[in-house]
Amino acid sequence: MVKLTDKEKQMMDGSEGSLKQKAMENIVSYANVLGAEELCVVTKAHLFCGAHSYMKALQSDNIDEVMSEMHFCSSDKLILDKVSCYSQSDVGPMCPFNWDKMGVSEKEHTENLNYLNRYLHSGVNLVGSCVPYLVGFIPLMGEHYVTSESHAVLIMNSLWGACGHADGLEAGFWSAVCGRTPLWGLHIMENRKGTHVFDIECPSETVLDWDLIGYTIGRKTPTHSIPVLRKGFKRPDITKLKSSYASMATTGGPEMCHIVGVTPEARTYEEAVGDRQPEDFATITSNDIRESLEMLNEGGRSRLDYISLGCPHYTIDQMRQVATFLRDKRVNNNTVLHVWTAAPIKETSDRCGYTKAIEDAGGIVLTSSCPLTSEKKPRGAETMAFDSGKQAHYIKPGSGSKVWFGSMEDCLRSAVTGFWEGE
Amino acid sequence: MSVKLIKGRGAIPGVSEGIAMVSMETIQGWSGLDDKTGLVIERGHPFEGMSIKDSVLILSGGKGSNGWSCHFHAARVSGIGPAALVFPKMDSRTGVAAVVTGVPTVTDLEDDPFDVIRTGDLVRVDGNKGTVEIIQRSKPETQQN
Repeated sequence: MVKLTDKEKQMMDGSEGSLKQKAMENIVSYANVLGAEELCVVTKAHLFCGAHSYMKALQSDNIDEVMSEMHFCSSDKLILDKVSCYSQSDVGPMCPFNWDKMGVSEKEHTENLNYLNRYLHSGVNLVGSCVPYLVGFIPLMGEHYVTSESHAVLIMNSLWGACGHADGLEAGFWSAVCGRTPLWGLHIMENRKGTHVFDIECPSETVLDWDLIGYTIGRKTPTHSIPVLRKGFKRPDITKLKSSYASMATTGGPEMCHIVGVTPEARTYEEAVGDRQPEDFATITSNDIRESLEMLNEGGRSRLDYISLGCPHYTIDQMRQVATFLRDKRVNNNTVLHVWTAAPIKETSDRCGYTKAIEDAGGIVLTSSCPLTSEKKPRGAETMAFDSGKQAHYIKPGSGSKVWFGSMEDCLRSAVTGFWEGE
Repeated sequence: MSVKLIKGRGAIPGVSEGIAMVSMETIQGWSGLDDKTGLVIERGHPFEGMSIKDSVLILSGGKGSNGWSCHFHAARVSGIGPAALVFPKMDSRTGVAAVVTGVPTVTDLEDDPFDVIRTGDLVRVDGNKGTVEIIQRSKPETQQN
């Protein structure tokens, strides 16, 4: 059973209120499930805030009842009124500013705002993005954080040596309230050595290349593995890894991925794997990439009803690229184009004229959500394209739609002609 | 009639019985489990089209979204959740899912459940003692890995 400090015992016995008590009870239960011996202090929490669809399972209109059960697993009513560490919101179920341009009703918008205000009053910064690390959420090496975004775990663990896990959405709230998470797994630096080595023998130049590399490694790496990219790749940047880790987290479960010579715990191959002999070695070939591309693509040159870009949320440079392409062009009348980014990044995009260029062409710029987490698509849209392996992979099963996947440029050319112009 | 007992560690207490759904493949949460119907919708998964309601889910782990747990949570709240959970080894996704689903859960098993238990077997999961017991074998034609 997990050992608690005096402070933790105080929270557990209710001395600091029923909200902290329930949060601690859940964290202790989580720690015991994992077999953790103690807890560690969490200093940053990225939380899945909003009137999300899964919360409707309770079938209640009462925010406190819903939060009590769906965040804290409590049938007693708790009021979420205070978080105890720096907290920032993840995506919500809609863009809170342009909700009417994405098929959301006023009622849904008002309900979501009520939820957002509650989180705000408890101390959560309403950033609303799946790329928290681009907007102020930067845990340092050895710093313990929680996040509701699977690819952000890979980014923050691998690129900076910070310590987090793919904890479920609920655990983020528990940690934000009581400031603790189990000291287990990747929260312990010795547990972070690579287990499965991948050499790259396929293209690694573009964001699309890296998206597919991530998707393919995720497919091939076993449960509970820590992949290591050993050699054969061109040096990636944060934009390429943003897409790569998003797809990797989707098809596999890795929470850490070393890239030799790029990530700080893998300055050399020997540092990445430590004393242990890796469990397996594999090569990612162009055939493997082709297989992944075929899994994500319907095939053929179809008319497209809907194209969505910006998963994960676009950087300001990606917004600039879209604007540059669409300047003096028009999105086809039969195709809806959405471009998603984080609200703080959109502010810069507005000021730089990128948003206007995209909107003048007929595109719609949205923030704070995405097709997957909003569960919204343009009415009647049956054929869709994405420049994200993650969106393409996830959207198809629930929607029954036909899906295509390619680069940003493939998608933008398609938006103009109204037909799939990629492979 | 008890055929086989696997010992492990109780993660969430309680005792429950149900029909086993066994897969070495992890299952994704988003677009993997429809928490409104309890049906598995992950394309190509051995469980595709099957309902998890009242089942004993035996999986290698979780993958995909950090929202893995919320689908099991929502399914439980809607009354279509599993009866018990068995994971040979825990990870963060399955760990939180075990807490929020709140059903008997056993982990750290001494024997490999994928060698022993088949989909369709009736099993009893004892989260107090940390055991998984096959009560009745499924008929051969319903067995799958």
